[in-house]
Amino acid sequence: MAFVEQHIHDAPTSFWSKYVVSYDHKVIAKQFLWYALFWGLVGGLMSILIRWTLAYPGVPVPLIGNMLFPASGGVVPPDTYAMLFTLHGTIMIFFFITPLLIGCFGNYCIPLMIGARDMIFPTLNMLSFWFAMASGLVLFASLCIPLGGAAGGWTSYPTLSTNIGQPGAGQTMWLISLFLFGISSTMGAVNYITTVITLRAPGMGYFKMPLTIWGLWLTAILNAIFVPVLGAGLLLLTFDRVFGTTFFLAGAAATSGRGDPILFQHVFWIFGHPEVYILILPAWGIVSDLLSFFARKPAFGYKMTALSLSAITVLSTVVYGHHMYTTQMSPLLTQSFMTLTMLISIPSAIFFANWLGTIWKGSIQFHSPMLFSLGVVFVFGLGGLTGLYLASTSIDLYLHDTYFVVGHFHYTMAASVLLGGFAGVYFWMPKMFGRMMNETLAKWHFWLTMIGINGIFMGMMIVGYGGMHRRLYNPFIYEFLHKLIPINNFISYSAFFAAAAQILFIYNLFKTVFAKNYPAAGKNPWGVGTLEWEIDSPAPHYNFKDIPVVKCGPHEFGNPNLTTGRDYQYQTEELVKV
Amino acid sequence: MITKGPADELNHFKNSVAMTVTLISFGMMFSSLFLGYFLVRFNAPAWPPVEIENLPKLLPFLSTVVMGLSSWTFVLLERRTEKKALWSATFGLGVLFLVLQFLLWNSLAASGILASNGNVPSMVYAFTWLHAGHIVLALALVLWLGYLIFFRPTGLTDVKLINVGKFWHFLGVIWFLMYLMLFVL
Ligand SMILES: [Cu+2]
Repeated sequence: MAFVEQHIHDAPTSFWSKYVVSYDHKVIAKQFLWYALFWGLVGGLMSILIRWTLAYPGVPVPLIGNMLFPASGGVVPPDTYAMLFTLHGTIMIFFFITPLLIGCFGNYCIPLMIGARDMIFPTLNMLSFWFAMASGLVLFASLCIPLGGAAGGWTSYPTLSTNIGQPGAGQTMWLISLFLFGISSTMGAVNYITTVITLRAPGMGYFKMPLTIWGLWLTAILNAIFVPVLGAGLLLLTFDRVFGTTFFLAGAAATSGRGDPILFQHVFWIFGHPEVYILILPAWGIVSDLLSFFARKPAFGYKMTALSLSAITVLSTVVYGHHMYTTQMSPLLTQSFMTLTMLISIPSAIFFANWLGTIWKGSIQFHSPMLFSLGVVFVFGLGGLTGLYLASTSIDLYLHDTYFVVGHFHYTMAASVLLGGFAGVYFWMPKMFGRMMNETLAKWHFWLTMIGINGIFMGMMIVGYGGMHRRLYNPFIYEFLHKLIPINNFISYSAFFAAAAQILFIYNLFKTVFAKNYPAAGKNPWGVGTLEWEIDSPAPHYNFKDIPVVKCGPHEFGNPNLTTGRDYQYQTEELVKV
Repeated sequence: MITKGPADELNHFKNSVAMTVTLISFGMMFSSLFLGYFLVRFNAPAWPPVEIENLPKLLPFLSTVVMGLSSWTFVLLERRTEKKALWSATFGLGVLFLVLQFLLWNSLAASGILASNGNVPSMVYAFTWLHAGHIVLALALVLWLGYLIFFRPTGLTDVKLINVGKFWHFLGVIWFLMYLMLFVL
């Protein structure tokens, strides 16, 4: 299976070639990690400003208010509020989660866990990061221009995103930025897919790959297929704004001809629904592995988990219409989309049951990566179940565009991906930097974050059910929402609480990475048998001196016949019969 | 000039996997455009709509012929040994295709069909712009092959020729579909 010969080149020596234009998948992974953390802070700050505005309408933001919004005396102005929720969504999805889960863990884990020395196309890998960098710069620049950044929502529906809804360059720069990001993602996807197909170590069959790799690989496939669809939509919208075409213009927005704003919704959601799975599949994969690693048990139903992840990947391509029930679709179509969407719950229930089966009667070690993984099980369970409500057409007609939707998608693709990302950072930190993060701080970080985010998103679902719409600058001008003011304040307090808890993480991370005389982590501090734990920490240049030969699966734990004194087997060891 | 050995075959395999994925990605982008076309077409009260009654016929036909010829010379370039002549023919035809597209846009504008005149003119312009943009990208790759053929023949491998070729033929097919949709049917 090692189809392609892999040569070892000399390690780069200058700072420039080592850290800036690096071809090394491990360095690119770390570049994506810092990139994601920077944007995560920006996007997080935006969410704080949003929650401040909802809790204290018309009150200046303390400390930074006067610096950011001098014209309004420190109060977030309405148009800026629209910009804040637009860019909060954009940044968290494309510039935080994607670089963290796919850019960082994809790059770091794929070669190490399949037993390769690097990605198959290192130059493409480097280009992928620098395209992401260019994209980030364009987005950042759009914040600094006179009329400000995009404000048409992260979905940027026309007519909100046309020249009538959004004069100024901000929206156009948003489109260009996301297009560049799409190029970066597609390059990454080509690389990941090809690497997994061609560079698996001898013996590493598809059903011997860790589930992390399954998740990342399926994500890459979805990326390669659906990001270009978004690319087409972005380009056409750019043409509408810049060259006067009329694809999405109708009514007063069109000076002549008749375009169709709904067409953009189709294109956007053909991409947008798979995008949800693009974000969550890596987290699912990581959690599926970690649950087994820390329950010291083989993953229950490994093959079925891999197959149900694949089934979800396939189904995710044909359900996008559930985002458009309120666009006067024919009932025949809404019912088909409803049925297909509901079908996803079958494979989801299978792997979810497998997760529970994995930890059932395990000797669970509550280390920080395990806590975060269990957190994912909890929040994804809630998010997934509320998805069934929204999938049903009749309920969605009432809940569409309410905070119930906001709560639901934050549970599924924000909370679970965030917790999965933290699990990954805590888990692979010893391999990435050769140092363990402080466990006490990590556990505090988990519990405080868990309390905070559940307060936020549970609260959002309740106010949504109460009829509060999303994206309103001040919902309380409507009298029927007055009774929701206390719970809205509770959501905001939970958000401030959850944000404050992240200081623990940032402190812990920086101390671990940069402190002098920090104790070194051993080769295999967690006692796990996948390939990356057999080599030194941090992983050496070109990973494996000799390409490993794989003889058993990734989750061989608790075999009573093991004579090595360990309760796990390395993947390079002959499987001991039970 | 071109060597074929086991190492070359391995190299070929990884590149053909990657090229297949890449072409699927590009294909999805163009399919999204075509999806828009079909939605517009099936919702239109009459076809062809008034805005495009006098679309030029000759120029797009010539473009199609040129594109077809260039694909043919590219196939020969992959197979025959007269690399320099065949490369020059392919590159020349590629440039000629771009020139024809410029003439097409000029003649559209001259007959009063602008991108802002509605759906169908929007599509004619946007599709041809995007396709031409990809042709520019592909010509850059062909130029790189030319550099290898003329100045560094040892660097020229079957894999490079075949993969650039796949991209070139792919754009030919896309053009043919666009030609049928926008100018013929
Ligand atoms: Cu969806």
